[in-house]
Amino acid sequence: MTALRFDTYDWSGGREAMLRFGADAGPIVVAALPLFEEANRTRQFLVTILRALAVIGISSVLPDLPGIGESIVVTGEARLRDQRTAYAELTQQLGRNTYGISIRSGALFDTDAALTGRWQLSPQTGEDLLRELDRARAASQSARASDTDYAGNTLSREMLADLRDATPYAGTGPLRGVRLESDPRDADVKYAASPLWRRSEPDNDIALTQILAGDISNWIASCER
Amino acid sequence: MLVIFEGTSQVETTVRAVLADILGLSADRVAAFTPDTPLFGALPELDSMAVASVLTELEDRLGILIEDDEIDGEMLETFGALVQFAASKALV
Repeated sequence: MTALRFDTYDWSGGREAMLRFGADAGPIVVAALPLFEEANRTRQFLVTILRALAVIGISSVLPDLPGIGESIVVTGEARLRDQRTAYAELTQQLGRNTYGISIRSGALFDTDAALTGRWQLSPQTGEDLLRELDRARAASQSARASDTDYAGNTLSREMLADLRDATPYAGTGPLRGVRLESDPRDADVKYAASPLWRRSEPDNDIALTQILAGDISNWIASCER
Repeated sequence: MLVIFEGTSQVETTVRAVLADILGLSADRVAAFTPDTPLFGALPELDSMAVASVLTELEDRLGILIEDDEIDGEMLETFGALVQFAASKALV
């Protein structure tokens, strides 16, 4: 059964929802959306990539992490370290060769997981994420709900501290960095495309999803050799 | 005072591309922007949240840092003003 299906996973802090794509065998991808508003802007895009991967025989899961999506943990109580723990425990449970793919600050979640490899689209540090949140906060003209309100997201002092020091994985193992041509930072490959995560409204880029699905598939094949 | 920095046309191209990408405008539409084209207040797509995105994307692409106190209505008033501001930060 390769079509999208809803599932759950348990971690030491509770149970969370996740989407599953593809068959129950072979290499499996754990997908991570960025934090906060960028997730809304890139969700359809990421799901399109996961569907494309399923068609070419690569399964995947898109888990909610604690404090995200359907999680009963409220945003104001979310902690990056819990999100990392949940991600790592899920990876453990999947059992097969597991590859993490992420978009932007999604790269901050897989640092503690025993992944076979990591593929990151435009990875972002926690510090850069905070800078953008502060700027969105300053730009917001509506009355701020409280000192912890960041463009509609309530962030605890602890979460802010978590993000301040957070960087993507920098250890051993296959790591592929993909960026857009307009991005001057280092990458293994760059593609000409528009940054969907910066668009005001959610959007998709079908052509890019096909290119990236191919890139991910080729990379996984090279890791499996 | 209008100052023309060497390399301004490259910065201008980048500003056009950023506006197109962030606001979802067509390439034709941003190609038609002149220095006097009004931005903030005139383009409905450019609300305060989009301004934050535009400035951050310009920072990333041009390798510059924009301080909060540098952000005012004037630099966002017209396309020319925004290019001028970006060029003054990006070019020595």
